[in-house]
Amino acid sequence: MRPAVTDIEEGRPPPETPEVAHAEARAAGALGVLMVVGAVVVLVDAARLRDSDEALGPAAAPTLVGVLLGVIGGALALQSRRFLRTPPAGRRSLWRLAALVAVLVAFALLLPVMGYVVSSAGLFVGAALLLGAPHPARVVAYGWTLAVVVFLIFDVLIGLSLPTGPWGF
Amino acid sequence: MGDLLSGFADALTPENLLWAFIGVTIGTAVGVLPGIGPALTVALLLPVTFRLEPAAALIMFAGIYYGGMYGGSTTSILLNTPGESASVATALEGNKMARAGRGAAALATAALGSFVAGTIGTIALSVAAPVVADLAVNFGPPEYVALMAVAFVTVSALLGPSLLKGAASLVIGATIGLVGIDTQTGQARLAFGLPSLFDGIDVVIVVVALFALGETFAHLVAGTGDSRVTPLRGQPMLSREDFRRSWPAWLRGTALGFPIGSLPAGGADVPTFLSYSLEKRLSKHREQFGRGAIEGVAGPEAANNAAAAGVLVPLLTIGLPTSATAAVILTAFQSYGLQPGPQLFSESGDLVWALIASLYIGNVLLLVLNLPLARAWVRLLTIPAYGIYAGVLVFACLGAFAAGGTIADLLVLTVLGLIGLLMREAGVPVAPAVVGLILAPLAEQQLRRALALSEGDWSVLVSSPLTVVLWVVVALALIAPPVLARRRRRVSRTREETSSTH
Repeated sequence: MRPAVTDIEEGRPPPETPEVAHAEARAAGALGVLMVVGAVVVLVDAARLRDSDEALGPAAAPTLVGVLLGVIGGALALQSRRFLRTPPAGRRSLWRLAALVAVLVAFALLLPVMGYVVSSAGLFVGAALLLGAPHPARVVAYGWTLAVVVFLIFDVLIGLSLPTGPWGF
Repeated sequence: MGDLLSGFADALTPENLLWAFIGVTIGTAVGVLPGIGPALTVALLLPVTFRLEPAAALIMFAGIYYGGMYGGSTTSILLNTPGESASVATALEGNKMARAGRGAAALATAALGSFVAGTIGTIALSVAAPVVADLAVNFGPPEYVALMAVAFVTVSALLGPSLLKGAASLVIGATIGLVGIDTQTGQARLAFGLPSLFDGIDVVIVVVALFALGETFAHLVAGTGDSRVTPLRGQPMLSREDFRRSWPAWLRGTALGFPIGSLPAGGADVPTFLSYSLEKRLSKHREQFGRGAIEGVAGPEAANNAAAAGVLVPLLTIGLPTSATAAVILTAFQSYGLQPGPQLFSESGDLVWALIASLYIGNVLLLVLNLPLARAWVRLLTIPAYGIYAGVLVFACLGAFAAGGTIADLLVLTVLGLIGLLMREAGVPVAPAVVGLILAPLAEQQLRRALALSEGDWSVLVSSPLTVVLWVVVALALIAPPVLARRRRRVSRTREETSSTH
């Protein structure tokens, strides 16, 4: 317990267990690689910009950000390179993640077609079931109620016009 | 003081009191949900205020802000899931107290401490803000560039486990901030020809994605569904002994929180940790620390609230947000047609003073409402995790849609949510990204303005004594942490060696 207390005294949140630290280093490595990829995209995009007659053109900031992205991302990736070789755990959880992303994309695409209430109820039900809700029928009832209440408050009461489906809600 | 009184006159009409009441109630209700900190509470509930007139919107917003802060500390104490790093210190002792059956006393000292700190903080804000605004009127682009450099360096150094991770977060935020049309030349940057990206990515979408979607995805990946709520026994009340131990801690926490929070540098959560270690050092009941010492809740919680008031000083007077919550508040102000900065007090003085007065009223309402209602809020914590996070997703999508209004915004939300998940898993704090998102475009704009005025002469950046001082601060903030860390490591190594020889 000793190190946790000293860390608090120095103004930092307490550190985690070794397993968490390992998983964290792997994620940091992945983030670092992603940042390096992002750096290339940002720099290519910056190079394409037309220069202006200002002292500092439109490309200066993206170039600086791109370089920093690359350097910091590279440092993160290097720091955790020995953890990157070990295979990631939890295939199933990644499937669940992919499924939730699919639900979100479906929500975005169906929103203008099906209207707010139906799409939101669907989003709630999909997310709750993926998060491990035990009673599908009850979840449908909750989702439907929440979507209707949100629609009534935000669209009818506050006047934020939400998309409506062919049935008007 | 007269301005503040007229602010009270504006805020105390029955209609505005009703808005403050609604704001405080929904702010607490959302802030109490596990994993939802003040920044996310404010971002999620922003759409509620969109259609109100500016004064009512600001007043309700102030209620949501303080309600979210209070709700967050309730969750930290009873559930040990601090939604933001500023509540981590409160959770340390608070959750221990709750497990020892003293949750009611912990909630009471948190509520009263927030009230005391909020009161002093609001008074200090109303004294300090006009003074700073007067100073800031003379700031030119070089001063702004230097101030933002200070904020960049301190935000990445202080808001996270390491400088590298803090900087990573800041740069990711800055990259998101680049997206959109460059105002000077009209060219689109990082928009990839997509018209919906030309206006840039709304701050609300980024906050909701990084905080709410990141959190939901993390729960999904970890497969954690159940939360352990410590039951609350008795009414939140302080015994005479608890009160005697609490009030000095409240005042010390406030004395740390407001000044540090009001610096134009990142790190509103630093005073909470400082307060924790100070209370531990000063306490006569040192052995209780780690097992539920009431001073360890009272001090950090007061520091947190005082810092929250302090953060408003650079935000309102210079337009410089130094925390994720302040970044969302800045966006909210802009959506109400207000531009924080030195001119704010002279141009929209009534509104600002009404806001400051309603911060105070929100504070009083919280005290009146929450001590008796604590049990009702605790019931909210018994909603199963799947219900909470599915509901959060519904509100996240609503918030993103209300902020942007297009399908593309929802897709951007999802992509940023995945980045938020990766950052969370990597131990990279997300708050600096939000600050970077706001500050980077502002810094670019001011730098280009400064160089345009000096016709390309870079020495304009160090043209005044203030800028020189600020750049020295930047250099120190960059050099000091690694040097200190090395020295600390050497000290701890010698300590280990001496202890192993025994």
